[in-house]
Amino acid sequence: MGQPKNPYQPVKAVIENIIDETPGIKTFVIKPEEAFGFHCGQFAELTVPGVGEGPFAMSSPCHKPEMLEFTIQNVGYMTQRLHKMKKGDVVGVRGPYGNGFPLEKYYGKEVVLLIGGVGFPPARALLYSLLHEKDKFKRLLMCYGARTPQDVVYKYQIEDFRKQIELHMTVDKADESWKETEGVVTVLLDKVNFDLKNAVSVVIGPPIMMKFGTLKLLEKGFKPRDIFLSMERKMYCGIGQCRHCMIDHLFICKDGPVFTYQELKDFPDIWE
Amino acid sequence: MAERYFIGKVQWSTLLGGWMEKYQILAPQKHEGGLFLEPVSMENLSTIVYDAARAVQPLKAFLFPALEEVTGEKAEPEKPWLFLGIKACGLSALPILDQAYGGEFADPHYQKRRQESLIVSSDCSQPWETCFCTLIGGKPYPSEGFDLNLSKVWDGFIVEAGSARGKALLEGHDEVLKEVVKEEAEALDKMRKETVSKIEKQNKEYRLPADLQKLMAGSWESDVWKVHSETCVECGACNHACPTCHCYFLDDVTRKEFVKLRGWDACQYSGYAVTAGGGTPRPHLYERFRNRYFCKIKYLFENYNRLGCTGCGRCIEGCQGRIDMRAALNDLTK
Repeated sequence: MGQPKNPYQPVKAVIENIIDETPGIKTFVIKPEEAFGFHCGQFAELTVPGVGEGPFAMSSPCHKPEMLEFTIQNVGYMTQRLHKMKKGDVVGVRGPYGNGFPLEKYYGKEVVLLIGGVGFPPARALLYSLLHEKDKFKRLLMCYGARTPQDVVYKYQIEDFRKQIELHMTVDKADESWKETEGVVTVLLDKVNFDLKNAVSVVIGPPIMMKFGTLKLLEKGFKPRDIFLSMERKMYCGIGQCRHCMIDHLFICKDGPVFTYQELKDFPDIWE
Repeated sequence: MAERYFIGKVQWSTLLGGWMEKYQILAPQKHEGGLFLEPVSMENLSTIVYDAARAVQPLKAFLFPALEEVTGEKAEPEKPWLFLGIKACGLSALPILDQAYGGEFADPHYQKRRQESLIVSSDCSQPWETCFCTLIGGKPYPSEGFDLNLSKVWDGFIVEAGSARGKALLEGHDEVLKEVVKEEAEALDKMRKETVSKIEKQNKEYRLPADLQKLMAGSWESDVWKVHSETCVECGACNHACPTCHCYFLDDVTRKEFVKLRGWDACQYSGYAVTAGGGTPRPHLYERFRNRYFCKIKYLFENYNRLGCTGCGRCIEGCQGRIDMRAALNDLTK
């Protein structure tokens, strides 16, 4: 037996590539010094050395663990510094943490992804996994909403995804270039039908979108146990110690981040 | 019957002097403002306050210091600690910290200190006004979680071994360890009963149900949170003084690459749960105030099967706003 692993120590990782997704969102492709096997829906603590750390879901395929991708919005102190980093710079990574999506529970079913804004990155990891064993699912459908056409991430992959799944898109505020729906993401649910007896839904996005998305799915007839939510809150440790991410007695980092609505619905203030 | 002996005070001090070589002994010393756990040397050996009440510092202050570097190799600590005079309300916090810092992602720093240190607890006999262990199902004397426990009886102690390491401490000292005679055992029982009565008496205006979880279940919307948080200045003293509170932040504040500091955080701070985007589940003071009570009584209990309150009264003692947890909980019953 060696020394027990220090759970606070990040592994170094080189930034291999940076993709500009939108004016405020970049995808960082990093290569960790050590193997980083993960399951889709899990997340990692990403360190900007000497600056800080934050939790982000991997957006790359989990069956290709040698290279990790994170799609990150420039929104706070740490992400602002991250956005200034360049190819070849070194970041740190701890993880993977959390439970991930229970894919086996989706086998044989219609899988409906309801995704808002930068909820797409964890959803993309899920999509890759679903497509990796596509035959096991009855139907794959994704409803994606962004604020404006400029805010759509992975534009260069949209057509490819559209060939493999049913993809519906909307923006809150369209411009002349936009050929698809205008309106909040929940309006897309009115355009499609599901076999409710045999469907599950996955909701990922900003809190307000997750709230109204879930309410809409309930209205459509989805059962609370069939609605899977990838939750987010302030987080430091990622390992069930620091208690910042709690919803009631549940650790988003350790018991989640993926919960069914059934598991959370009786707790107050889950959407805040 | 547990393994216990009577030992005279002078003989005990001699034993203690012998352990100093191997352990850094920390014991309560009286100063203005209370009892403080301090390093023991031959100079202050005679002024250790064994019985009395709990010290100002909770044990977490040593096992999980307020600010420390958690990455990289750590300098080996001098000597393992031997904590003296820890009270039952301090011991009962440890199973929570042990579980929180154990398991799959165990904190190697906490674990090392915890495993290497020894705890020689003692009975409480002069509770502070803020003490309320009996109100929430505790006792002012330890029954588990110690290596040795000392109960002051006449001019000596009844010493009880609570672990193999505790027994080992006593090995080879048969000549000073006497059989506990009936009168000593009776004096111990009497002292314990008297302390229980003292604590019950000073808390007689409060009545709490045995099932505190049930009390909390119906209290989310109660006015108690707003009323009792009126004088809160969000200093976080209740969190920091609490023996079971263990929330922390991690930061690269040294600005050195890959060096992380861990520091105590407090759920009473307005920025505690604020995300980079500015959202927080508890924007109002009363919500943060309520969170502490729910964490103590419901969340920690569900996580670690232990009440997060040991009745030590440190949160009451440390509060600038004179907020009293007993009164707040009591008002929930009305």
